[in-house]
Amino acid sequence: MSETLGPALLPSRARMRRTAPAVVSAVAMIAMIAVCASLQPDVLSVSGLSLVLSATVPLVIAAQAQMTLMAVGDIDLGIGNFVGLVTVITATTLVTDPLLGGLILLGLVASYTVLGILIHLRKVPSLIATLGASFVWLGLGMFVLPTPGGTTPEWLAAFGMWQPAGFPAPLLPILLVAALVYLLSARSTLGVRMRALGSNPVALERAGLRPLASRAIAYTAAGGLGVLSGLVLASQTGGGDVSSASSYTLMTVAAVILGGGSFYGGSAVPWGVVIGGVTLGLVSVVLSLLDVPTNMQSAVQGVIVLAVLAGRVLVGKVLR
Amino acid sequence: MHVDNFAARPHAASREEGGRPSGQQPVVIARGVTKTYGRTRALTGVDLEVRAGEVLGLVGHNGAGKSTLMRVLAGLEACDEGMVTVCGRDASGEAGPRAGDFRGVRMAYQETSLCPDLTIAENIWVSSRHCLPRMGWRRAAGNGARRRLDEMFPGHGVAPGDRVEDLSLAQRQMVEIARASLVDRLDLLILDEPTESLGPDAARSLYDYVRTLTAGGVAVLLISHRIREILSVADRVAVLRDGAVIAERPASGLGEHDVLTLMGAEVAERAGNERVTAAEGASEDRPVLAEMRGTTAAGLRDVSLRVGVGEVVGLAGLAGQGQQEVLERLWRPVRRDTKVRGTRAYVPGDRQRSGVLPLWSVAENLVVSAMRGIARRGLRRPAEERAVVRDWVERLAIRGGPDAAMTDLSGGNQQKVIVARAFASAADLVLLDDPFRGVDVHTKTDLYGLIRQEAAQGRSVVWYSSENAEMAHCDRVYVFRAGRVVAELTGAEISEERIIAVSFAESDGAQNHE
Repeated sequence: MSETLGPALLPSRARMRRTAPAVVSAVAMIAMIAVCASLQPDVLSVSGLSLVLSATVPLVIAAQAQMTLMAVGDIDLGIGNFVGLVTVITATTLVTDPLLGGLILLGLVASYTVLGILIHLRKVPSLIATLGASFVWLGLGMFVLPTPGGTTPEWLAAFGMWQPAGFPAPLLPILLVAALVYLLSARSTLGVRMRALGSNPVALERAGLRPLASRAIAYTAAGGLGVLSGLVLASQTGGGDVSSASSYTLMTVAAVILGGGSFYGGSAVPWGVVIGGVTLGLVSVVLSLLDVPTNMQSAVQGVIVLAVLAGRVLVGKVLR
Repeated sequence: MHVDNFAARPHAASREEGGRPSGQQPVVIARGVTKTYGRTRALTGVDLEVRAGEVLGLVGHNGAGKSTLMRVLAGLEACDEGMVTVCGRDASGEAGPRAGDFRGVRMAYQETSLCPDLTIAENIWVSSRHCLPRMGWRRAAGNGARRRLDEMFPGHGVAPGDRVEDLSLAQRQMVEIARASLVDRLDLLILDEPTESLGPDAARSLYDYVRTLTAGGVAVLLISHRIREILSVADRVAVLRDGAVIAERPASGLGEHDVLTLMGAEVAERAGNERVTAAEGASEDRPVLAEMRGTTAAGLRDVSLRVGVGEVVGLAGLAGQGQQEVLERLWRPVRRDTKVRGTRAYVPGDRQRSGVLPLWSVAENLVVSAMRGIARRGLRRPAEERAVVRDWVERLAIRGGPDAAMTDLSGGNQQKVIVARAFASAADLVLLDDPFRGVDVHTKTDLYGLIRQEAAQGRSVVWYSSENAEMAHCDRVYVFRAGRVVAELTGAEISEERIIAVSFAESDGAQNHE
């Protein structure tokens, strides 16, 4: 660990400033759990927490995908429809022909790699390329499964139903994926390449590393995480629907920002993303427990996100 | 072992192996190297040898070709003609950051080549990954960095796990130099303005370390505009002027004045040590249009200057010494220490990025600032606008006429449009931010004439230029160094030689190290 290399003389304040956004989000998350628990004490039981957290699992995993792209300084506006398309493939081909379905899912990961390579070589803004791709994902999903439906493979359904006694089941995939992304993006040399691209592409180039490779790695990782998110979502809904995750596109961006990520690239915040994603997921739970009318929920959700972001800015100013 | 090789003094281990050049043998040789960017000939035929175990100082003024030469020597760019030899192997064919021949040539950049979001250990991995083990690279890189920093800059206060963005400017510079020196086999270390942001103690310990490096047979190429520093550290000094090495002398016996003379400066007595107070003549009588009084801000220290009505004021000196900050201040005079009476127009230098509206025609580009002045009650008056445009297109002989698409114009003609835009407006003060860089001679001559004409009609101009010769067209020139005005030249005092002399001459040193 880098921490063991020497006494961290300088960065106590700097480190505080960096973790501040995630801390603000964590405070918001704890506050929301407290509100939930005061309204409905069962929330604090294992099954209650499972129920509350389960909806956030695919969102958090998709947010990890968004985070890997934001680490290289890109942004993915297609992740929502991509996750939707994965649920469609899971509910159709993966049931009828597991081998072919598996291959298609691998092909989807590869298509993300190709997308990243094209973005790099053609110098297209990732914003536009991924937005274009999102319509392709949507079209493909509509073509395969025009109306929501289908079933999920048995093993996946079993995973969705899994209820261990000692701890809330959704925590396992959330923490497992976060640990994986942490190892990839923060500890490995692949992660260094990715963050170096987002931080200072000139330095990367001068050192003789290929920016193209960094971008390809990041997009492949994002594609893989997107597929994972789609599988989990399908296991929960028990079927496929290409538009079931369309709200993820912007929610994942918000989750990364809440977790301490930045639009400029260079930083990887897998644990912050967990906090940001869960916070966002909890907002709708709190609102329904508070009996906020459904047609008002989106607006209130937006206001809460803005409040948390404002808190982050404020804390950042104080620590500067 | 791999790691030890990397962390130990780079020269110690392999010194006796024979594959390396020993004392006084050339490490890197450049022969007849040329490099052209578009129309600019950055290098016109450089011959240079850097020998093992020596420190070669390289000096030259703005645009002399220092940075291009360094990029060629470090293998980042291939030269157009000529030959670069590294350790006896011809390496000119294989340039680029991945070129294997240049692996022993390392460069510490002035603006640093670090990733701010990464830790120091991670930055070391990026640049020295060939010499790090696959497993435990983080620890190895961190240990190597710390050991090297301890050797170079005792008391640096940097830990390998710190992120670069959290370090001070001086610490970043230290890490950058350590980064460049960390490699299993170092042949040539290029230091580009290494002490610019270091304090005097750090600079001293850096040069002590440079001497231990050269004692072990490493060659060091030192680029600096602190001529005294170069003279005290280097064994030989090479002077670059107009893209070629015009002199190579042993440093011993060479004085500051000699170097300045070689660079083309006319050495004035006491130049730079105290302000050359201008002969207050006609310019003093003019009413003042803009003024800065003792402004101290980011990049500026106690800057006072005055712009009279109908005066052309030049801002000179090496690039990035505070001139652009002054323009910025005059453009947005938000603080009380800056006073500007009247309206302003700004001509940006980098026309691709900030000046041109590429989808608009020449006429629209030209008239966009003047439009409001011409309009009546918020409505545009096309006939009057056309007249203004026609007038300017004729005056500056803009090729293609008013209806040409902006992007169809050559760079020089685009620049004419941008300058015309500023002068076509009713602004009292026109700010020029090095606008004639890379513009052909004919256009420049036209534009110089225009500036004088407009000044004669009562327009004031503040003009920053990296080309000292242009300053001859000014009434008064402020020479900047490290955010300070080090000289104010008027009338006949303004000459390229004089500007070079004052912008290089060091005062007591303390002010630069603050």
